[in-house]
Amino acid sequence: MQKGGFNFDLYQRNVELIEKNNYKVPKTTKTGTTIVGVVFSDGVVLGADTRATSGPIVADPNCEKIHKISDYIWCAGAGTAADTENTTGMISLQLELLSLSTGRSPRVRTALTLLKNFLFRYHGYISAALVLGGVDFTGPHLHMIHPHGSTSTLPYISMGSGSLAAMAVLETGYNSKMGEEDAKSLVHQAILSGILNDLGSGGNVDLCVIKHKSMEFFRNVDTTNSKRKFRKKLPYMFKSGSTKILEKEIEEKMRKMEIVNEKESQIEELEEL
Amino acid sequence: MLNEFSNNTISLFLQKKKKKGSFFNFSLTTFSPNGKLLQIEHALKAVESGATSLGIKASNGVVIVTEKKLPTTLIDENSVKKIQKLNDGIGVIYSGLGPDYRVLISKARKKSQQYFKQYNEIIPVNIISRKVAGIMQEFTQSGGVRPFGVSLLVAGYDHNGPQLFQVDPSGSFWAWKATAIGKNSSNSKKFLEKRYKPDMEIEDAINTAILTLKEGFEGEMDEFNIEVGVITNDKKFRILEPEEVKDYISELNL
Repeated sequence: MQKGGFNFDLYQRNVELIEKNNYKVPKTTKTGTTIVGVVFSDGVVLGADTRATSGPIVADPNCEKIHKISDYIWCAGAGTAADTENTTGMISLQLELLSLSTGRSPRVRTALTLLKNFLFRYHGYISAALVLGGVDFTGPHLHMIHPHGSTSTLPYISMGSGSLAAMAVLETGYNSKMGEEDAKSLVHQAILSGILNDLGSGGNVDLCVIKHKSMEFFRNVDTTNSKRKFRKKLPYMFKSGSTKILEKEIEEKMRKMEIVNEKESQIEELEEL
Repeated sequence: MLNEFSNNTISLFLQKKKKKGSFFNFSLTTFSPNGKLLQIEHALKAVESGATSLGIKASNGVVIVTEKKLPTTLIDENSVKKIQKLNDGIGVIYSGLGPDYRVLISKARKKSQQYFKQYNEIIPVNIISRKVAGIMQEFTQSGGVRPFGVSLLVAGYDHNGPQLFQVDPSGSFWAWKATAIGKNSSNSKKFLEKRYKPDMEIEDAINTAILTLKEGFEGEMDEFNIEVGVITNDKKFRILEPEEVKDYISELNL
């Protein structure tokens, strides 16, 4: 059975290759994102864009960045897509085991601790920056988790490459006495700001509103940025004769076969037997 | 051969090696001359002397019930929960040794999460039953351990509909339409044979289950000394509250 964690057996060899043999280290692919979280009077709103990039190319124009940790605890992830998906997936399973074993519904701070301890063990090599929000029996909670394992608890948070654009909107619009509609609209505007002003973010806006024993997921609540205006209708049709024929050469590739009536020959064979 | 054998054990004792909790390299469950594994037979005896549990598979759900016989009235019955969930859609009950059951539930829950991690699918009832049976079989063939002294009834509802499985200390498992384990299991099964109908609905099944339990019950049956667990086509296993159980019992008394 494989042990968990990283295998550093090839470290020496890699160092030698880079220094002595002028080996070019392949670049790690960075993904851009705008993710946001806001606390309001009854709960938490999480928001995210939907663009996944691989260098300068949009790998997925409509991916889901808000992951479920438990029924009323959700987590938006920025950074390497595989890291955020698998980390949140694993902690979600651990939390379900814990909740079954204790007979209690899980707490946001438990998810926070599991995530930060996991990320700290890998010293930042797991590139997952998370916005964790949820409502448990102690009330609404919102936290941010950095890839190295440090956490902060704040009333409003933004992370990812579009975080500066989003934070500008949050700082302007946030007030501690917001209701649900105000919070939703603030998060929406913050994500939109990230989509418009950051190249690494784009696509549609996803929102997730969590209140006591209630969760509403608004997938693709705003799609105005993903409709391409000048797209040619597919398939591409060319008039016959648009390509000028200069030369013609015909090669016989296969001799024509004679088709014998199969059934008759089979019956003959059986009769012979 | 015999010398090597005893040398091995002596050297093991001297080195005080401990591998995963099992001290010995050899199994304590061995065949008797007539082809039986006596340890498993004894484990089944432990099950037979445990509190009665039974389960009925209806056309639209499964119900499992158990006797919660506490040795004294001083025990806080709220802290004792015999029926346990493996995940949202599967519930389990046992007859036999409680501590063995607790360990199995822990292992089963972990297996079900691992399955989800691997296949991104909620584990089907027959697969988790098979895995639990596998764990129980391991303990009949591993070094230095004894078989589990419990039989489990696994109730669930998945894409194959409602299912009820029994898992034994030997590691064998099979599906039932209705069954009972523990004390009075044979009488209860005879009672169930007469009452079971394949097109039974879940409400009917719950009443039949509680009635069957009442047949072999010593003393007065009330909502605090039995536990009832139900799963229907909403695929969510639920342990009934004492008030709900009280309603069913009073219906039967009428």
